[in-house]
Amino acid sequence: MSLDLGRKGLEEALEAGATYADIRIGEILNENLTVKNGVPEEVNQSKMKGFGLRVLARGSWGFAASVDVTKSEVVKVAREAVAIARASAKVNKDPVSLRDAKTERAKYSTPVKKDPFKISLEEKMDILMEAESTVAKQSPLIKVSYSFFRAKQEKKLFMSTEGAEINQQIVWCGGGLMGVAIKNGEVQRRSYPSSFRGNFSTSGFEFFESLRLIQEAKKVGQDALQLLNAEKCPSTTKNLIITGDQLALQIHESCGHPTELDRALGMEADYAGTSFLTPDKLNTFKYGSKKVNIIADSTVLGGLGTFGYDDEGIPAKKTYLVKEGVFVGYQSSRETAALLELKESSGGMRADSPLKIPLIRMTNINLLEGDWKAEELIEDTRDGILMQTNRSWSIDDRRLNFQFGAEIGWRIKGGSREEMIKNPTYTGITPQFWGSCDAISRDDWMMWGTPNCGKGVPGQVMYVGHGCGTARFKEVQVGLLK
Amino acid sequence: MTTKRLLEIAKNTMEQARERNEVDQVQVAAFQVNSALTRYANSQIHQNVASNKGGIAIKVVTGGRIGTLLVNSLEKGQIKDAVTDAVKIARVTPPNKDFRSLPKPAKWIPINDVYHKETAECTPDYRAERVKEAIDAAHSRSQLVKAVAGSFSTESLAFAVVNSLGTSAWTEIAVASIQTTVISKSGSSQGFSSEEQHSRRIKDIDAAQVGGRAADRSIRSINPSKISIGEHEVVLSPRAVAGLFMYLGYIGFSATSFQDGQSFVKYNLGKRVFDKKLNVRDDPRDPKTLYSFSIDGEGVPKAKVQLVEEGRVSEKSICYDSFTAGKEKRMSTGHAIPPVFGFISRPMPFNILVTSGNASVEEMIQETKRGIFITRFHYTNPVEPSKAILTGLTRDGTFLIENGELTNPVRNLRYTDSMLSALKTIPMIGKDLEILEDVTTPAMKLAKLRFTGITAH
Repeated sequence: MSLDLGRKGLEEALEAGATYADIRIGEILNENLTVKNGVPEEVNQSKMKGFGLRVLARGSWGFAASVDVTKSEVVKVAREAVAIARASAKVNKDPVSLRDAKTERAKYSTPVKKDPFKISLEEKMDILMEAESTVAKQSPLIKVSYSFFRAKQEKKLFMSTEGAEINQQIVWCGGGLMGVAIKNGEVQRRSYPSSFRGNFSTSGFEFFESLRLIQEAKKVGQDALQLLNAEKCPSTTKNLIITGDQLALQIHESCGHPTELDRALGMEADYAGTSFLTPDKLNTFKYGSKKVNIIADSTVLGGLGTFGYDDEGIPAKKTYLVKEGVFVGYQSSRETAALLELKESSGGMRADSPLKIPLIRMTNINLLEGDWKAEELIEDTRDGILMQTNRSWSIDDRRLNFQFGAEIGWRIKGGSREEMIKNPTYTGITPQFWGSCDAISRDDWMMWGTPNCGKGVPGQVMYVGHGCGTARFKEVQVGLLK
Repeated sequence: MTTKRLLEIAKNTMEQARERNEVDQVQVAAFQVNSALTRYANSQIHQNVASNKGGIAIKVVTGGRIGTLLVNSLEKGQIKDAVTDAVKIARVTPPNKDFRSLPKPAKWIPINDVYHKETAECTPDYRAERVKEAIDAAHSRSQLVKAVAGSFSTESLAFAVVNSLGTSAWTEIAVASIQTTVISKSGSSQGFSSEEQHSRRIKDIDAAQVGGRAADRSIRSINPSKISIGEHEVVLSPRAVAGLFMYLGYIGFSATSFQDGQSFVKYNLGKRVFDKKLNVRDDPRDPKTLYSFSIDGEGVPKAKVQLVEEGRVSEKSICYDSFTAGKEKRMSTGHAIPPVFGFISRPMPFNILVTSGNASVEEMIQETKRGIFITRFHYTNPVEPSKAILTGLTRDGTFLIENGELTNPVRNLRYTDSMLSALKTIPMIGKDLEILEDVTTPAMKLAKLRFTGITAH
């Protein structure tokens, strides 16, 4: 990464009239491998290199970016960014101010034992081909079977006119399996270890190996098959136990997004919406039961949202969002922290490429562990339903009314897991739902990686993490399908 | 001439790959996307961006083994490395027994009047002026208008595709879009509404009209009341209809979903699953569709596909690329996703046109004794794709219809319903088409839509 190129861009921006500027120069390498029904359906790599310059001029933002990483282009783009900022100033009543940030010169690299890009394609494909064929051979009724691998490497240099120079290399990888069983028009699917192509971690290839796809494949196929003959989810209210792979998405949608301060301040109103967690509720609103503690933590080892510094140069940190059930914090940026007179940014500004502006994005939004064992949650439930692995999701534009579908469920009777349930769904209103949380496990707490969080206009897709175990919620409406 | 340059890059890249003895077939798509977007919230510009992105996508076939590589660069050295890497990937990939061939060359005809320089070269000052018009128009409607948010964007998209069988095709379009959301307030109650407009001609975009309309409906949506869930008659604005058909296009009419047994079309071939009045096609050459590319991402001419004909779906409803077509020994319908949209390996329709009827929205409301008017759906997602069951919420202005008139605003509702049920009886279809990105559609009145939940706002 060229410090000279970065300096040139910043100098040019100041020369053109910027009062603040930062530049991100980045390289991204992506590898996607998919085996489907015995053939390598997707074997592709993508590479990108580019830079983006964000400037403040006349109190307003401008941003321009290019894939042509040359000095002449940097000069052109810096001038364009300042011209854009001046245009912004024509429709800006409140000049932007930024919360102070400690200026750092630093380096960070994801700790990696085996670089996933140095493992041969043959080795990865051998694992995927065998795992996929194991899912498929469980029954002729398995009509579609998949195995997935994905790895990403992001190198980025952040420099600002305040003197920051931060080099980072972030690496993540992971994968998964899926089997789809079909009989007489009935379609049932089962995924491992989670939906959305599996589970992912800022780690090396050792994480993918730890998933043991070949060994887990048989169960994936068999579960999909059994679901064809399972009974329907009843339409009623029940005590609901949710395992970590589904609970991760529940946290993502009903806590992660509504605690983004840009949403709460109306900055995403035109697209994904606003938030019911408005600033007047900070430190007073009862978000959940006393058992519920949720943090944004970009420091946790292996989390998909773990890094050294965010895209404003703020070091990774932990911030409480919900403490003993009370809403106590936002995910914020330097600009939004200043607007709300918060002490500092929570360090969550991230862009999915150097060609896009950083936005407030989730890092790792984690539900802290409780004091139960996961099995005790079942033993303690007289009448309930256990749901696992997301199948569908939807939530309203203030993040209150949600509905989720899971791939598989089981009835809980008298403290034991009984018959399997297909097409389980549940719905609720966020604070009531979290208010009904009466037990959280500790022994199966782990990090779940979500590589596909969408936000912003133009759209960006970010990789984020969620740490959680299993949790129980009282009297939840289940069974929304006819 | 962007396409001429892209074609030259694509040809040179292909020749580099062909020089390697082991390569049987090769396809190269070179692309360029220049985009700019001004975003506003709280009645001021808060984000304002521009980017130039170019690159190539290479597909190399060697002994039935396929390697693909996308590189976001048009620089010679990087392209040379990309060719080497794509061949390497193909060499070590297991053979793909479902692959037949890259598409053979086919005659293609450019679509005229789809690239306008003034759209592609719009300045940040022009965008700021239009944004100001939208904001001012909204605030001028009422003191109750508290905040205006939205985005105004322009984008030029160009790509050229060549393959070693002789395909050589190119296309370029430019589009402009505005979307405006207006938040109003009275006491402790907020009102929301939004409008959008898309055109390939930037001069068509009427920012003030978009802002004003959104404000009118936003003010009207303050103080919503609660209504009972269950089945209701509904009048859907074109934007609400578009929200449903975009998902039906994804889950129903893609050859990938069809071949995987996850499309409702698979289980209803030849059946009249929708109202007889419903006709839907995918047609890039219709002037009322937005992304009018003459070719797809493989350089195959984009064919018109009748997705729904008088309520029936059939094998002819399915959209193929060359890979999925090869699996069924068919011809591609030209639905491979263009490289300007990224690496998406499933074919899909994105020039969906719902045939208009003869009713106005006012007439639909007048003909409704008790029902709900829906401006827009939010966060729609498939629950069971093979049964076309979708869920989502209403947003940006939901109103009760009583005795032929729009009366009170109502709180947003969650629907969970099979489209095979919801679109089975469509008493009225609107006469005016609205272009909404992937879908161009009129308004629609449905005899029933099943609501399963209600929000607090």
